Amino acid sequence: MIKTTKTSTSLSYIYLTLGLIFVLYPFILMVLNSFKPGPEIMHAPNALPSRLTLSGYIGVFRDLNILNLFKNSFIIAISIMLLNVFLDSMAAFAISKIRFPGSELLFRFMLMTMMIPGVLFFIPTYTMLYRWGWVNHFRSLIIPGAVGVYNIFLIKQFMEHIPDQLIEAARIDGASYPEIYLNIMLPMSRPVLATVAILTFMGSWNDLFGPLLYLRDQKKWTVQLGLHLFSGGVPGHKIEEVWAANVMITLPIIVIYFFLQKEFIKAFTDVDLK
Amino acid sequence: MKLIHTIDKYKWGYIFVAPWIVLFCIFGLYPIWLSIKLTFLKYNLLEPSKVRFVGLNNWFNGIRDGMFWLSLRNIVYNQVIFIALTFFISLGVAICLYRIVRFSSFFRTAYFMPVITSIVVVMIVLGYISGPEGPLQTWLLKIGVLKHGIYWKIMPPLVMPVLAVINSWKWFGIQAVIFLGGISAIPTSYYEAAELDGATTRQMFWRITFPLLRPQVFFILVMNVIYGLQMFTEVYVNFDLYGGVHHAGLTPVLYIYAIGLDKFRMGYASTLGILLGIIILFLTILEFKFIKRRVD
Repeated sequence: MIKTTKTSTSLSYIYLTLGLIFVLYPFILMVLNSFKPGPEIMHAPNALPSRLTLSGYIGVFRDLNILNLFKNSFIIAISIMLLNVFLDSMAAFAISKIRFPGSELLFRFMLMTMMIPGVLFFIPTYTMLYRWGWVNHFRSLIIPGAVGVYNIFLIKQFMEHIPDQLIEAARIDGASYPEIYLNIMLPMSRPVLATVAILTFMGSWNDLFGPLLYLRDQKKWTVQLGLHLFSGGVPGHKIEEVWAANVMITLPIIVIYFFLQKEFIKAFTDVDLK
Repeated sequence: MKLIHTIDKYKWGYIFVAPWIVLFCIFGLYPIWLSIKLTFLKYNLLEPSKVRFVGLNNWFNGIRDGMFWLSLRNIVYNQVIFIALTFFISLGVAICLYRIVRFSSFFRTAYFMPVITSIVVVMIVLGYISGPEGPLQTWLLKIGVLKHGIYWKIMPPLVMPVLAVINSWKWFGIQAVIFLGGISAIPTSYYEAAELDGATTRQMFWRITFPLLRPQVFFILVMNVIYGLQMFTEVYVNFDLYGGVHHAGLTPVLYIYAIGLDKFRMGYASTLGILLGIIILFLTILEFKFIKRRVD
């Protein structure tokens, strides 16, 4: 099966190209519809737009206040991203390089917690944060999301390849652990930190569940929550606004993706399965 | 003295893991404790003063709750289709990607685009494409394959299969890359030896490739069971809080959400959460027992 012949290679190209059409068609349609007048989206789904209109894009600024959604989502996503990059790398450094007594055990415990289904936490955490008065505050999303075991796992896996001698040499020169962390570990871990940054930013940007639970006030809505609540209420003749919103909300992630493809794909699949 | 010395020597280690430990205690351990406490209470979030101890009543009600078991049946129906379909698509894509040299990373990049798109957007776009007024059905009606439009969102037997197909479109990219990693790690000498023995391509796949992909299959299955059974957003954006017509779109987490955030019955919602957690944990342990053992 792995024996690669000329026919099997050409067949592979044909299959993959067919797959490409399936994968890309919804994205192409999304962009086309965002420039297509609403009535045509409803009644001529397969026709190319008779004329290109920007009314969808203009409409989302008026009817959806999309700039505010972007602002809220950016504040939340950037906060979660920065907290994770620093706190997770600190934990990974302590476990993989300082190796304090109990670090092995702690790491095993962390991996175990990954197996706990998230549904267990959702009702009690909501009850707790509701009683604390955190509902309608960004901190209800940011603080519980400030660390992540999967991220610690990815960073630890990476840091283990950084030679111990580097740290020992720095220790002999009188550097403290915080200095080693800042001056050696952080700069050397840049690739994996990029991966973690992407993963956490995207996770937060694309999340509907968290904002749905905690952000009731319309001024606090995020992009996904705003899009969901908006999409149900737009009348047909203005439906192009929903499509314009789809494009605008997806675009930031796609742009980052095209610059950092490798890190993106690694973020999901860089698990040593041995 | 020795203990103090150890702590002093490693103090930065403990300080560096402290944030995780503190946050885990507040947002991990405490909620679990609170959740267990809630299962014994009748607790309405809006009337906390009326809290009442009800013993094991929440548990008895949960076990007898037809809606909960219906939601579980729905999600299993969905996941069986999703897991099987995604498995074949991603394995096929991985094999194709392995066979080609040029454009390999181009295809991978494109195939990963659905993965990074939000569920809300995916549901709007693919919901439109698959809907009765969308491009697909309009075309099928025109060429005569369909006699009339299919309103799958209000046709109970179709709800979960269509959602499974949409989710396969969204997630096959990850699984394909995981399989590709597994296939690439198999030494080519295995195939050369098999070829000398006169094995056919098909035999090579079933005797060499497939068995050696067990770690990947195991990993994907574990992840699918843990995350798949907790599906929420896909059904929340498409149906009402109780899953639409005949509750065909009701999943366990959607049901728990409705009990907790619509009825504010936190004690009962918490019990159902633990019940679902136990079921998922049980299935995960089964996977470890029956598949992991064969992996090793």
